[in-house]
Amino acid sequence: MPFEVIFGAWVATGLTLFILTFLYEDNPLFKIAEHLYVGVSVGYAIVKTYDTVVIRLIYEPMVKQGDWSLLVPLVIGSLMLARYVPKAAWMSRIAFAFVVGVGSGLAIPRVISSYILKQIEDTVRPLVSLATDGSTTFTYSLLDPASNLNAIVLLIGVVSVLFYFFFSVEHTGPGKVVARTGILFLMIAFGAAFGYTVMARMSLLIGRLSDLIDYSHPEYGRATWWLLAVTIATLIAFRARRRGTEPPQ
Amino acid sequence: MSLAERMLSIDRRIIFLMIGLCTLIPLLYPVGLAIKVSPEVKSVYDYIESLPAGSVFLLSLDFDPASKPELYPQAVALMRHAFKKNLRVIGMTLWLPGTGMANEVVSRIAREEGKVAGKDYVFLGWSPGGGSVIINMGQDLYKAFPTDYNNQPTRDLAVLNGVQSLRDVNYVVSLAAGTTGIETWYVFGKDKYKFELGGGCTGVIAPGLYPLLRSGQINGLIGGLRGAAEYEVLIGKKGKAVAGMDAQSATHFAIILLVILCNVFYFSIRTSGKTAGQH
Repeated sequence: MPFEVIFGAWVATGLTLFILTFLYEDNPLFKIAEHLYVGVSVGYAIVKTYDTVVIRLIYEPMVKQGDWSLLVPLVIGSLMLARYVPKAAWMSRIAFAFVVGVGSGLAIPRVISSYILKQIEDTVRPLVSLATDGSTTFTYSLLDPASNLNAIVLLIGVVSVLFYFFFSVEHTGPGKVVARTGILFLMIAFGAAFGYTVMARMSLLIGRLSDLIDYSHPEYGRATWWLLAVTIATLIAFRARRRGTEPPQ
Repeated sequence: MSLAERMLSIDRRIIFLMIGLCTLIPLLYPVGLAIKVSPEVKSVYDYIESLPAGSVFLLSLDFDPASKPELYPQAVALMRHAFKKNLRVIGMTLWLPGTGMANEVVSRIAREEGKVAGKDYVFLGWSPGGGSVIINMGQDLYKAFPTDYNNQPTRDLAVLNGVQSLRDVNYVVSLAAGTTGIETWYVFGKDKYKFELGGGCTGVIAPGLYPLLRSGQINGLIGGLRGAAEYEVLIGKKGKAVAGMDAQSATHFAIILLVILCNVFYFSIRTSGKTAGQH
């Protein structure tokens, strides 16, 4: 196995174990891993951005291919840096105005179309279906999202939740029943979201533990076992040292 | 102090240890619980299955290493399926921190499936802008990505023959850990350039994407590690996702048990408190 793969496995194992020590208590090993994560992420982002944006998208097309039209976005983008010069800080507003203007112009029509119109179109569904002979039919299956029964559930859910967030009318009498129904729908939605979140977090734990199991094999030099021993020994040493420095009760 | 009170004030590290063991033991000794394929995952599979050889499949790996356990197995399964169907694969990412990992998964799976870079697949890398990149690709793919990740001019690549913009792409799947991701691909891509779009996502953002699935804005959704396991079952190549399903079930069972126990202890304390108050 190549050295860089084994080295990578040792680094990944060590950092995973250091991060997991936080479940026991906050400690310097966790801090090291946390700071490394932030530092490496920022360093990687800077290098990749410089390589992609400055070199590949600006320098090479301009200098090698003579596409000098790129000077326009380059100048507008550079105006952002004017914020660091107090006397010229106003010039950065031109760049920000450009970004906000273009961003809004691009996003607003598309977002209205995709999130509002399309979703309304899907929400407003017929409560009964027309058969080919002209008669009406009603499907009762709760498991089929397109059934008529589910269209009614959807209608009740949308109306009651919208009413719950309508604060201009006091929620009393029949209004209270509708608002309570809205809360019920919201609770079910939050429950589903929480369930999925738990599943996602457990998946992350499964991913890390799978890697730790893989890296405990002899081809990786039993990285997990060695680093687990080092981590536990270090934690014990830190705890002993802290006890020694703590003032007596 | 009663048993219920003691249990409710238990050291949380014991719970961490319990969850850790519930995850670790099934990983070491798998049971092989059955995995049922959901219709939303099957839709993605069926669409790729229906594409003729040589069709263009774009996989956007819009996630970073923090979401690797959930989305990496999805990427592996999708790439294997696309290569098995002899599709022309375009890999890319809208997430800067995930660039290296995305390149690694695309090139590794291609190598394992005997595919050649530039001829059977290309990894375009990352370009800044999120939605703007998609719009740019919809107008001219070569302006958005003049070179691929390995700095090869994209116009010279055989894999992109006949592909001028997103309109020439048969199927796009975005594997997303948040925004920029599936919604961005829909809003700035599918809605305008009319290609078919599927999605894969982390469990956290899955509930927010079901409205898009129901309205037909995306044709399928692979949700979390569970979705990846279902896709592995469909392609008949069980990998890390299937291996993790026993652990997932065990931890879910443990969490449900803990929630029930906590409620039982809570209500028993409340009931005993009321009884004591009456006396």
